[in-house]
Amino acid sequence: MQTVKMVISGAVNAGKTEFIKTISEIEVVSTERRATDDTRLIKKETTVAMDFGRIAISDDLVLHLFGTPGQKRFDFMWEILAEGMLGLVILVDSTRPETFRETNRIIDFFVSYRDTPYVIAANKQDRPNAWSPEELRLALRQPPHIKVLPCTATDRESVKNVLLELLYVIQERSED
Amino acid sequence: MALVGNIRDFSLSDFLSLVDRGYKTGALHLSYNDQTARLYFEKGKLLLAARRPEDEKPELLVRLGVLNADQLAQACRMLAARGNGATLSQVVIDAGMVSTERLQSALMGHTEQSVYGLFAWPEGDFLFEHNQRPAPDAPLAPVPISIDHLIMEGVRRIDEWERIRDRIPSTDLVPRFLAPPGEKLKGMRLSPDEWKVFARINGRDTLAEIAQKTGLSDFDVCRAVYGFLTAGMLELVKRQRVLAAGMPPVEQPRLKKSLVNRIINRIRSM
Repeated sequence: MQTVKMVISGAVNAGKTEFIKTISEIEVVSTERRATDDTRLIKKETTVAMDFGRIAISDDLVLHLFGTPGQKRFDFMWEILAEGMLGLVILVDSTRPETFRETNRIIDFFVSYRDTPYVIAANKQDRPNAWSPEELRLALRQPPHIKVLPCTATDRESVKNVLLELLYVIQERSED
Repeated sequence: MALVGNIRDFSLSDFLSLVDRGYKTGALHLSYNDQTARLYFEKGKLLLAARRPEDEKPELLVRLGVLNADQLAQACRMLAARGNGATLSQVVIDAGMVSTERLQSALMGHTEQSVYGLFAWPEGDFLFEHNQRPAPDAPLAPVPISIDHLIMEGVRRIDEWERIRDRIPSTDLVPRFLAPPGEKLKGMRLSPDEWKVFARINGRDTLAEIAQKTGLSDFDVCRAVYGFLTAGMLELVKRQRVLAAGMPPVEQPRLKKSLVNRIINRIRSM
């Protein structure tokens, strides 16, 4: 059985857990705990370890989805999760510009030392005052060739679209 | 849809940079305690900055000594008669009441001073209303003002490492121009120290090395580079990447196209 891995990352409350829950075939293995630091101002429970989801591709191939912990003190987990990943989805809460700097830090961590295929998912596009994908591209200073995609993490079609767009990027780099 | 946030989290320099690079047209409304301000942009350039409601009124031209009260009254009558999207600035120039250069200089000075004051705000809510335009009788700069040097001015006023570290986490990073910086530089007014840093950027030296070679502090070098970054002139790369130019930094596992296609087909069918 071959397994491949995609990582879903983003700042606290960007929607990583929801994103994986929406598409995973198994019940997502989440380690949600009551938040103990300033994240409790944003949500009552937050991911302190990680989320894990799974999609069976065929009898001999499985796709694993890992959501990274959002809090800074769990940064050490990122290195472990990044090892051998197929690609990366960076989720951004489009309604909270206060998280854009943290998002840039995450992108920098995952992308600067590795030639990682990644896309940015502009989550919560269904909310009022969501910044558009193009505005997020400017705010996050992403070059034109990086895909910044509209996303609603609770909507299966939207999540599928983000994963497919990432797979197209991976496909371009893959061998015949 | 309006863009909302707080300049504590997304600084005014960053927002100006977004407006500049996105060629945005609209009005930026700012509020902090009992102060408010409104900035109007057209295609990424500044038309007007008002710290008080009176700054959006035609009487500003009298306060700035550009027109006298009689000329202003005449100009307002002419504007009302002309209609069709004409602006007060066009009317006073066409009527020969003031030269374009004189009007531009007076309004540019006023606008710049208004924006500089905003950089002192530690926080403040912002709301950017797309395509909101000033009133026809507002005192608009006849030539929209480039905001590159306003961004640099904002960055000059940063006196804390924390904000700079968000973008420049280490002095081991190497600044590198994204493109020949000629065009961008035209709109900027650099200080002598910023020129020193600018001249030392060669795509090989780290920020720490630039500080050593210029005799400036790490903070001063990083602040200048932060300004160039915000103005969209530079990128920062890690030295490993520079040394291994032409080679991928860390080899990602190369997948077979057939395997990727299988995953694509599966996701599509879900």
